[in-house]
Amino acid sequence: MTIVSLRKRKIPITPYLFILPHLIFFAVFIGYPFFSGLYISFFQYDYLRPEATLFVGLQNYIDLFKTGSVKFIEFWNSIKVTLTFVIYSVPFLVIIPLGLAILLNTKIAGTKFFRAVYFAPWVLSCAVISLIWWWIFQSQGGLLNYYLKLIGFDTPRWLSTMPYAMISIVVATIWWTMGYNMVIFLAALQDIPNDLYEAAEIDGANSWQRFVNITIPMLQPVLIFIIIITIIASFNLLGQPLMMTRGAPAQPTGGGATEPVMLRIFNEGFVRPFQGSAAAMSVIVAIIMMVFSFTNFRIFRQRD
Amino acid sequence: MKRITRLLLPAILVMGLLLSACGTAATPEAPAQPAAEQPAVEQPADSCGVVELQYWNPFTGPDGPFMGEMVNAFNAEHPDIVVTMVSQGEYYTQLSTAAAADTLPDVAIVHADQVSTQAFRNVLRPIDDLVTEMGISGDDYPAGVWAAGEVAGHRYSIPLDIHPMTAFYNADLFTAAGFTDAPKTGEEFEAVAAAITSGDNKGFDITGGFPVQQIFQMMLQQFGGSEFNADGTEATWNSEAGVQALQWMKDVQSKYSEPNLEVDAELNAFKTGTVGMVWNGIWQTTNVTGDGVEFDGRATAVPQIGPKMAVWAGSHQFTMPAHKTVDPCKDQAAAIFIKYMIENSVTWAKAGQIPASISVRASSEFKAIEPQASIAPSVEFAFFPPSVPGITDAFGPLGEAVGAVMNGTTDDIKAALDDAATRANEILAQNKATYGDAPKAP
Repeated sequence: MTIVSLRKRKIPITPYLFILPHLIFFAVFIGYPFFSGLYISFFQYDYLRPEATLFVGLQNYIDLFKTGSVKFIEFWNSIKVTLTFVIYSVPFLVIIPLGLAILLNTKIAGTKFFRAVYFAPWVLSCAVISLIWWWIFQSQGGLLNYYLKLIGFDTPRWLSTMPYAMISIVVATIWWTMGYNMVIFLAALQDIPNDLYEAAEIDGANSWQRFVNITIPMLQPVLIFIIIITIIASFNLLGQPLMMTRGAPAQPTGGGATEPVMLRIFNEGFVRPFQGSAAAMSVIVAIIMMVFSFTNFRIFRQRD
Repeated sequence: MKRITRLLLPAILVMGLLLSACGTAATPEAPAQPAAEQPAVEQPADSCGVVELQYWNPFTGPDGPFMGEMVNAFNAEHPDIVVTMVSQGEYYTQLSTAAAADTLPDVAIVHADQVSTQAFRNVLRPIDDLVTEMGISGDDYPAGVWAAGEVAGHRYSIPLDIHPMTAFYNADLFTAAGFTDAPKTGEEFEAVAAAITSGDNKGFDITGGFPVQQIFQMMLQQFGGSEFNADGTEATWNSEAGVQALQWMKDVQSKYSEPNLEVDAELNAFKTGTVGMVWNGIWQTTNVTGDGVEFDGRATAVPQIGPKMAVWAGSHQFTMPAHKTVDPCKDQAAAIFIKYMIENSVTWAKAGQIPASISVRASSEFKAIEPQASIAPSVEFAFFPPSVPGITDAFGPLGEAVGAVMNGTTDDIKAALDDAATRANEILAQNKATYGDAPKAP
């Protein structure tokens, strides 16, 4: 029924029909914009001034590598900020959810309750969690400094000095997104057959040995998946610094100490009229993300 | 083939529905009124029938309802014109995307420092003739705020209001320290601030974020400097006056303020009643005075610290966005609407703004509105950046330099200002190269 004869070759139509809806959305919202972005990155381009469109070849890319220029300083500063965030946040976003998942995978009372509790922040929007944490970290009667003062500790300016501003953003992000990773780990843990553990136990393996030799290897595909999607998600950092610090503190050499690259690209393309240059920035960020993901695959594959 | 059609058609239909649903959701303003009054285009103005106008502004805060009240009053008095007001955030992004889709409103509010940029980006159109027709002239406005609406020799906007930097003070703390009046000079300012600063109380709180860049601009002007040269091609804030201005800010911060405050922290501290004075935009009036606080919070004009009086200010201006086809009926209705809004901007003053029009400010009705009326004289000293496209981009490095100095990221004031000026000059040159000398179509 589902086979249609076309040029005497049998081509199944149904599978393609099943992926068609997503394919259309993919083509419209990802495929076309991707190639269009690549294309305009070779132009001086402002969509409101078609008369000013000018083919500039690789100039937009060259400008980003011209040491000392404003674009160079601001772009690479924001890349540095984003990478710093990735380096600080990803390990916590893998280890903490893994630990929670293992704890909640045990047969003790109340695990369902705690699963819900740890997952709950994930359903909130970025703006909401940013505001919650802004109220905790802010200096005038913010919860954290109020209690730090009560017990006699220093009260740093969490949102306007370094490294505290970055720490604040990392903490807020971990609290917000750890539940999602935890649920995926939990599902993977429940997939590990129990007989493996039983066999190991009979062989006299202690719980650490069971964790290292059974849990980790069995979790490996999920682990790679989690690491890669967490890195990509962390690269897309935008809302938390926008709401919590607005890129502060400013740096005398240019750029903000918590200004992520996505905000820089948005400013370049939509606040300033340089969509060509913004597209070039996006391409470079995309390349960096691909290199990261590829390296991850390689590292984990070599262990096999 | 029939089978393919049978399989594909529903899928395509569903997709089409989904996509069209997305389209509508993404641009709620897109379904502009169909050409109901289109036939009237060629007819004389009297037979335009009922004209519908779209009016956009960025008033998403507590000032929005006041503007809504004015629009309702206008609609009630003009049965043949129906104005629909839309207030939205991310305002300039909205205008840009609407410009790309040719769904711009008929009337839009644009900030003074954005008029030139939006004109060069083909979002706005010149309205020289309409302004003459309305009988509005620059004589009724302070020179600076009127000049902000002129781009490459053409008029693009009419000022509605001026919103100046305002000094807020805690009258209870003033009384306790033995003072009755708000300071008007640098000496008075320091005397009050010093008297209040003791223990947990601070004389004057200043942050490392907004609005320190604006405070710096004001001090720079007061000490006799300016941000840019006259034609807006070069940043000049790294002058002697600039160093003096930033040094003054740093000094008062170290003497009378808590260090390293983040954005809005000075207002929050002020509201707890432990801070003598803060400077912020006049739009904070309801937040930090009157019922907004539990002490006697007051608003007044900022003092003159340097040798020359100058006040930082922004301004909302009426503009008419560009359209592929111009409808004379709508133009005429828009002119009537804008003129009405300017003449009745006393209502707008209640939202915490100072009307830009000198004659409105001279009216007894406005003089009865406090504290706006007593802050109003300061707008005569308001200054605005040169009317060149992308000028706000060039403030980016200045904001970073001032923020870095106030947050203690650097101690070298001169170097920070020099460095920021170099970067701003590069940005100005880039803008000049991309925008050219005049908008495409005047």
